[in-house]
Amino acid sequence: MSAPAPPAPAAPPPPKKDTLTIVFDGKPIEVPPGINLIEAAKLAGIEIPHFCFHPRLSVVGQCRMCLVEIEGIPKIQAACTTPIKDGLAVKTTTQKVRESRAANMEFLLINHPLDCPICDQAGECKLQDNAFGYGEQRSRYDERKRQYAGYDRTAIGPHVVADMTRCIQCTRCIRFCQEIAGTGELTFLDRGGRTLVWTHDGKPLANDWSACAADVCPVGALTTKEFRFRRRVWDLKKTPSVCPGCNIGCNISIEDRDSVVYRFLPRLNPAVNDYWLCDYGRFLSESLNAREISKATVREGSDVRDAIVPAAVERIASEIRSTIETDGPSAIFFLGSAHLSNEENFLLRKIADHIGCGNRDVVVDRSRVRRMKSKTEWIEGDHAGANYAGARDMGLSPGPGGHGLTDVLEGRWIPQIVVVADASFAAAADDAEKVGRLRGARFLAVAARTANSLTRAADVVLPAASLAQKEGSFTNVQGRVQWFQRAFLPPPPARAHWELLLLLGVALGWGDRNWTPAAVRTQIREEVEGYDEVTEQELAGGGLMKKGLFVSTGAV
Amino acid sequence: MKSEPVLLARVGRERSQAIDTYLADGGYETLRKVLTGGWTPEAVTEEVKKSGLRGRGGAGFPTGVKWGFVPKDTKGKPVYLLCNADESEPGTFKDRLLMEEDPHQMLEGQILSAFALRCHTSYVYIRGEFFHGARVLQRAIDEAYEKGFLGENILGSGFSHDVTVHRGAGAYICGEETGLIESLEGKRGQPRVKPPFPAVVGVFGAPTIVNNVETLCCVTHVLKRGADWFAKIGRNEKNSGPKLYCLSGHVNRPGVYEAPMGLQMKELLFGDDYGRGMKDGRKVKAVIPGGASAAMLTAGEIEDCPLDFDGLAAKKSMLGSAAIIVMNEDTCIVDAATNLAKFFSHESCGQCTPCREGTPWLHRVLSRIEAGEGRAEDVELLEKISNQMGNGITLCVFADAAIAPVLSSIGKFRDEYRYHVENKRCLVGPRAAVEAVTA
Amino acid sequence: MTSRRYAVLPAGRPAEFPPDARARIERILSRYPTKQAALLPVLWVAQETWGWISREAAEEVARILELSPAHVSGVLTFYTMYNLEPVGRHLLQFCTSISCHLAGAGGLLEHCRRRLGIDLGQTTADGRFTMVEVECIAGCDRAPSMMIDDAYHEPMDPSKLDALLESLP
Repeated sequence: MSAPAPPAPAAPPPPKKDTLTIVFDGKPIEVPPGINLIEAAKLAGIEIPHFCFHPRLSVVGQCRMCLVEIEGIPKIQAACTTPIKDGLAVKTTTQKVRESRAANMEFLLINHPLDCPICDQAGECKLQDNAFGYGEQRSRYDERKRQYAGYDRTAIGPHVVADMTRCIQCTRCIRFCQEIAGTGELTFLDRGGRTLVWTHDGKPLANDWSACAADVCPVGALTTKEFRFRRRVWDLKKTPSVCPGCNIGCNISIEDRDSVVYRFLPRLNPAVNDYWLCDYGRFLSESLNAREISKATVREGSDVRDAIVPAAVERIASEIRSTIETDGPSAIFFLGSAHLSNEENFLLRKIADHIGCGNRDVVVDRSRVRRMKSKTEWIEGDHAGANYAGARDMGLSPGPGGHGLTDVLEGRWIPQIVVVADASFAAAADDAEKVGRLRGARFLAVAARTANSLTRAADVVLPAASLAQKEGSFTNVQGRVQWFQRAFLPPPPARAHWELLLLLGVALGWGDRNWTPAAVRTQIREEVEGYDEVTEQELAGGGLMKKGLFVSTGAV
Repeated sequence: MKSEPVLLARVGRERSQAIDTYLADGGYETLRKVLTGGWTPEAVTEEVKKSGLRGRGGAGFPTGVKWGFVPKDTKGKPVYLLCNADESEPGTFKDRLLMEEDPHQMLEGQILSAFALRCHTSYVYIRGEFFHGARVLQRAIDEAYEKGFLGENILGSGFSHDVTVHRGAGAYICGEETGLIESLEGKRGQPRVKPPFPAVVGVFGAPTIVNNVETLCCVTHVLKRGADWFAKIGRNEKNSGPKLYCLSGHVNRPGVYEAPMGLQMKELLFGDDYGRGMKDGRKVKAVIPGGASAAMLTAGEIEDCPLDFDGLAAKKSMLGSAAIIVMNEDTCIVDAATNLAKFFSHESCGQCTPCREGTPWLHRVLSRIEAGEGRAEDVELLEKISNQMGNGITLCVFADAAIAPVLSSIGKFRDEYRYHVENKRCLVGPRAAVEAVTA
Repeated sequence: MTSRRYAVLPAGRPAEFPPDARARIERILSRYPTKQAALLPVLWVAQETWGWISREAAEEVARILELSPAHVSGVLTFYTMYNLEPVGRHLLQFCTSISCHLAGAGGLLEHCRRRLGIDLGQTTADGRFTMVEVECIAGCDRAPSMMIDDAYHEPMDPSKLDALLESLP
């Protein structure tokens, strides 16, 4: 006889789903819990038109544009305020939904001035888009339109201009100032059809992120003084980049037309700047258009002569070669920059290594503390250069027995040759005493885009590219490596710093003129600790934390 | 046949506001009975449920059921009771009377309700215009504290309760539960997204019950004389209890009248105990049965029209705040609708698009018609605008309230609208009266 | 309705509450779990103190209740009973909602307009009267109803109004 069979093991509990199933127009999709229905629809490839909903602002359900039908509920529902639950069946294309949206569009437009031809928002206006997508061709409104006399074409802060007659009362700007900036300058005044957005008693809308109020404005009610009337937005080309303003490394789009930069806009990256950008960084955009060093120059005695770039680079190389012969490589000093990419700083360091020189450094250019809210925490930046961390990672610190910048600036060491890889931004560049120290070298070479005391003092000046004119990667204060792309080419003969550095390397017998920043990154992956997983795909996808080097800035 | 008044029993008596007269009439005995007689909060709620008492503010939701929505476990949060004394519905003036004339009746109901809700802090949100009412109420509260009906350990029962009078400042929308809650929190009175409902997340993030003044007065009597007694008053168990009706307009004797729920409209208008008929013997043209938000009824519709929740729902209108506004045959219906549209346009909070934009639009088109500048397509346009605003597409019921007078007046008096549009004016109504003054 | 103002006008008066008002504010604060909840009552104290709520008064209230001035402005302009500029010694509030309208409120209003020579929202040159229109004040059974300052006067008619306007200081 066999022993009685052991009791059958209890059926395993059904696996706990960590996603919810939402059915959009008959098509099921798995979404993470806690997501808003509008965002869930987006995952399903379905657009639910809306105005007041913003993924990072509180849900107020005021604009009534996102109406959908929910199975089992007779009344039409606002998607943004519908609690999400497993099995929810949503209909977004029924006649009732279409009619409700068209009705809402009509209400939104009756008092809107429809001044799209002179409105800067045209082309990126949610009202325009939704009117086109969901509105009727004609309005039945034949009364006088509402106007907010005295509240149009009025600066309500250092950067933001208000045209309240265009406002659709979505309160995104109010919520931004309350919930993200935490400054609460804006409010609704009055009520009903007379409701408008303004500040207390006309006080300025002035916080560090004030232009984000214009970003979140779905219409042309808030625009920025700097961009107003400069370009139609559809004329502009967007290029993914990283803000040069500080070492937070906010993700931006550089928007240009015909090689002129017109504005920076924040580019979504939840881990860094989320949807936001600070005013300081945003309005650096215009500085990218400056071009004071447009050709290479070489000093011959008391004369400064124009030269072609290869000749100017060869001049630097020959000075380096002769100095190595007379004084050895330790008489040379290489100064990188927190404004240069990882690739460029890496090339500079490799050139120094190649000739056996340990004298290398970057300028420590501290700025006031800047703050940015990521999706989850406040991040603080304190360097004027976006890539201070990356420059250090690439090895731009004095090597064993080598000298650094303070040795030079404090007069402890006078190098024979100083190579400044980027003079445009260096804090030292307009300090007469510091320039004097650097100029103490027999030979001073710089690459630059704008002129300053340092470029005027240099023996060789190479015309370099702006951020918009080159590609590369920056490593931010968190240790996140982020890619910026080239928006347009530098005007010849100016070249990207990495090209100039490659020319110098090749002239000194190292490197390959055909290398690209991507090729340099391959070497960085092989040689620089923590960068081995920073693949091209990762870079294109919003950046990656360097392995083991994550620096939490802590919530503020 | 007029029955013995319950809610208005003490109104009109000398010093009816004073606590000594209230006590002499057996006041606060119910509170003593409940607090010291072994009643549990659950038993009080059960009694109120059994009475069939439905909210007297407008929506008519069963009061005991509403109380039952407060979660058993409030996660350490207090429960708040808010008395909605923001009586602002045009045509309504019963709560003003109850507070000005018999504040202790309401206060006793409020303390009893608070006991049922295990609530230790309640507020009376009274509209800003009721300066006098607020003073009377404050005096009553002070007296109740003095006599130990409010404060710590009431009547030695271990139950403590504080009441604060909170004055509004001029906004109809604060009569909406969540608008009231926002306003009490020191904000603009913009109604909230629901859910969560106030019973779960209300004022200060805590479970909150909002009850109307008359509702709280009724609670006093439910507990004083029992649920069965209360339930037997009125037309049926779903429309039970004594009810206050606010009669105004073209009747001989406007005023607040108490009657068992379900009083016939014709009795209210013509009965000797009530309105005593139409002023100057004119005929009824239209009646608004439940305040400005209720659909108008025609003279024909007021036949066999019990004034209660279900009776008026059957006529596609509502009891609302039981404000019966009577318009005689000389009333220009377009003028009346324009006046109501102006009210709603002025009082819309402005957050939802259809209401913010639709209420002024309705008012403009109606004003044009009223001013003799109507166009043939305007009447249809008014209906279309209204239908686009209504059916619950906004955050609160305000938009639905705003369109009710427009849609009902057009639906029932379409010819008069047409006449107005075609002939560019109307020869009757208050506008004609204004013209007479200014002529 | 009378047109409302969007911005709080400058006061030119000191906006420091006198001691008794400060004491009232402290008592008010003790009744609420948050400071913000005291905003409406404290604005009432401000209005009772100065007769209207100036920009400075709004800012003082914001400071005491630890709110942004913008929030206070938003609340002030939402409600109709806060005076955003000085009003006359007596505020004549005419109800023109439906029941009063049916009872001739329009004629009463017009009568008063002509008698005082001012329009809604305006103040007589001698500073005695400001006329405003209000929504239903729950005086429908004694229509047309009106309030002068904080007292009801109902039912009202042109001759009664004339007598009242004569008698008020």
